[in-house]
Amino acid sequence: MFNFRRFGKYFATDVRTCWANFGLSLLTISLLFPTVLYIVTTAFNLILRSSWDGPDMGIRVFVFAVAMFCLVVTMPVKCYGRITEKQYGSFWLTLPASRLEKFVSMFIMTCIIVPITGTVLYLGADAIICALDHTCGRNLVAGGMELLRHMSDLQEFTMNLGEESLTVENATVAQELVRQINSPWLYVDDFFGITLPFLLGAIFFKNGKTVKTFLAIFAFSMATSIIMSPFMAEWASEIVTNANNDPQAVISMFSHGLFKHLALIDTITDTIVNLALLAGIWFRIKTLKH
Amino acid sequence: MITIKDLGFTYGETGGLRSISLNKEKGHMVPTEKFVLKNITMNLEEGRIYGLLGENGVGKTTLLTLLCGLKKPQMGTISADGRNPYDREPSLLSEQYYLSDEVPPMNMKAVDYAKNYGKFWEGFDMDKFIEVMGVFENDPQQKMTHMSFGQLKKTYISFALACNPKYLFMDEPTNGLDIPSKAQFRKAMTKYTREDSVILISTHQVRDLENIIDPIIILDRQDVLLNATLEEISEKLYFDYSSEKIEDALYSEMIPGGNIQVSLNQNGEDSKVNIEALFNTVHQHKELIKGIFNK
Repeated sequence: MFNFRRFGKYFATDVRTCWANFGLSLLTISLLFPTVLYIVTTAFNLILRSSWDGPDMGIRVFVFAVAMFCLVVTMPVKCYGRITEKQYGSFWLTLPASRLEKFVSMFIMTCIIVPITGTVLYLGADAIICALDHTCGRNLVAGGMELLRHMSDLQEFTMNLGEESLTVENATVAQELVRQINSPWLYVDDFFGITLPFLLGAIFFKNGKTVKTFLAIFAFSMATSIIMSPFMAEWASEIVTNANNDPQAVISMFSHGLFKHLALIDTITDTIVNLALLAGIWFRIKTLKH
Repeated sequence: MITIKDLGFTYGETGGLRSISLNKEKGHMVPTEKFVLKNITMNLEEGRIYGLLGENGVGKTTLLTLLCGLKKPQMGTISADGRNPYDREPSLLSEQYYLSDEVPPMNMKAVDYAKNYGKFWEGFDMDKFIEVMGVFENDPQQKMTHMSFGQLKKTYISFALACNPKYLFMDEPTNGLDIPSKAQFRKAMTKYTREDSVILISTHQVRDLENIIDPIIILDRQDVLLNATLEEISEKLYFDYSSEKIEDALYSEMIPGGNIQVSLNQNGEDSKVNIEALFNTVHQHKELIKGIFNK
């Protein structure tokens, strides 16, 4: 069922095929986005303000997130979307590798290799631009490191609870809260939650793959919101009421692992959703026919 | 050897209750009329190049895709030396190759394609790929996305032959090939295939493959009308090319320079089988031919 030697061969082939189909898009998104952003922002600043200024950190973080999202959305369709077509799909299904090997390779490429490559290329391009033009300020990596340092030195914490917000002006509690949500798996899980639906959509839908995936995500989000929002609203209102009545009790609640439990609930639900998505991908590969 | 037993397949009502019914005589469930293939039973032996003929829509491509595991049989079984093709086990996949009638233009050079994918087939021979590409006068350094349909098809045929598969399934391989390429295809098929391989070629262009396919399988709606070697066919049917009219001919057609007439071979005479005439004869006398060849 799984042969490491054959998997190695298949994975290398998958990388090459993916590079042939998506390489140009990967380079365009990862390298062109920061370059175009820099040129456009500098040109606008020069025209409108008559000053030579590169894009600031805020806009660069936003464009980075957009670029990575574009990467994650387009990659599965370009690399694996063709397996639903009779021409390519027949060849792919009869390629001598096991279903499990094809599945694992697909997962590694979509969720690890391409996002990491895209991120490294983007951050590299951003670092070069910032090194060449100091008006951009710190590069994204340095900015991220600074943010992490700032988080460990947090003095206050604001939490949004629906329409209400709650600010905890206590450095010890704020830093404890950061510590409670400091689990890498929490973010990895969230990231897989973005990539896997698009992979499933790419191999499930025969046409309109991206649009139909967005619609499916929208429908799923609506359904879960409708089910969960009454509970969430009640819980948020209870916390805010408690905070108004006895601020100390809420601080104590935060100090005693509330965020840790919330993060755990989030991780568990994300893991269940991701496992369901992986199961969907597996069964699609298993039952795909031409 | 590939063994097909009571194979049934339908599109649409897959496995639904309306796709099967109880046969009171046989005492078990049987497929209804909606099936494309119904109760197909045959063996495909090693060392033979089977020609799969039939009108449009009789299930030639369906049968090929079932044999290579791209579809799941809804009734009956297929066994390739004891293995079920639909399991898509790598050990069986590496011994088979399915050449679809439509081939994908990959975004790479033909030679890179062969290097990239050839390693999955144990018997793949890169030199053979280059050699067969040479027979087809195809450039291995050309990018596949820049090839014409015929060039692309020749690249895939070269790749299929270079894989040295034991089971080779080809769906309309000569479609899109020019006249010299059809001759090159026949040459390549006879020179570059394994002696112990089971080859099944589906085609409408019987003249393109006349000298290489033997036995002949003729499919009809849900049924196999004929599955016989050329020797068996010429033993039972006589193909007359003279201009003399045969009174009890099963099929007769005027061709330049005379007639082609097919009749029952009652005198045990030798004759060259004309596959096109055979096909038409079989279609005009389905029950008679089935009766003769199933004896």
